[in-house]
Amino acid sequence: MGLDFYEELRAFIGQEGTPSMAVDEVCKPMIRHWCEAMQDGNPLYTDEEYAKKSKYGSIIAPPTMLLTWTMPPLWPPREQPPHPFEQLLARLDKAGFYGIIITHVAQRYYRPLFPGDRVTFTYKVSDVSPVKKTSLGNGHFVTTTFLFKNQKGEMVGTQSLTVLKYRLGA
Amino acid sequence: MAWKSLYWEDVQEGQELPTVTREITVTTVIAGAIASRDFTPVHHDREFARSVGLKDIFLNNATICGLVGKYLTDWTGPEGELKEISFRIMTPCFPGDTMTMTGKVVRKYTEGQQHLVDVEYEFAVPQGRNCSGRGTIALPTRL
Repeated sequence: MGLDFYEELRAFIGQEGTPSMAVDEVCKPMIRHWCEAMQDGNPLYTDEEYAKKSKYGSIIAPPTMLLTWTMPPLWPPREQPPHPFEQLLARLDKAGFYGIIITHVAQRYYRPLFPGDRVTFTYKVSDVSPVKKTSLGNGHFVTTTFLFKNQKGEMVGTQSLTVLKYRLGA
Repeated sequence: MAWKSLYWEDVQEGQELPTVTREITVTTVIAGAIASRDFTPVHHDREFARSVGLKDIFLNNATICGLVGKYLTDWTGPEGELKEISFRIMTPCFPGDTMTMTGKVVRKYTEGQQHLVDVEYEFAVPQGRNCSGRGTIALPTRL
């Protein structure tokens, strides 16, 4: 697995799929379910009266929920061509790097999401590392960056995720 | 319920955040995975997790994000506005683990109209560090 393979992986950097729309709009029940799981009592998320008097004038979604709005439905499957990021992961699988773990997460928040908002998002492959020796085995770190916008086209936030695709013990 | 706000003036660089512990159960892991719409089997299916060599199901990255957000805004009060968070994930957090959350203010500064603090935090589990990272929060000011 020499330089040519790494060049093939690097060709994915900067590739962005087509924009997708969140399956659900931002809504109070999903926000409340999130707060239940986290045990987050922040009144901006679930206390109508408090939120109405806040500078937002309404309930807002927890900013950390960003990625949740864009998760694919469990059923039926989304019909769209495979995203460059998925193609890159498949290429790594084919080369024997089957293992996958998330190693780094970063989120930036530009404006809040309100119930009724509908998120659209794009994501791109932003980096691939050369093969590295890790405690799990040799692998490549792959970083993907998501951009989230609301229905007015305003930037809501970004998230980057770095995963390690590794070959167990080798 | 009355909510207390932490003001920018009352924070010092080097100040420690309160230590918070949370018992992570099977329910915590699964509720977090489903609330974040993450149906990856390693976050809800014990048998599957064990079949791929893991000790058990483990907290997904979205739940860690949620717990980081809660840890930070529980400290600042609801007027603290998260600007960004980032963290490295190291050791998985399994059901039965006690998660111990600690943090420290590393920078206090202004940017335009915003009064900001940078915080470093670490979530520890018995087997090591689950994650450690940094966050930026805008705080209300008395000015």
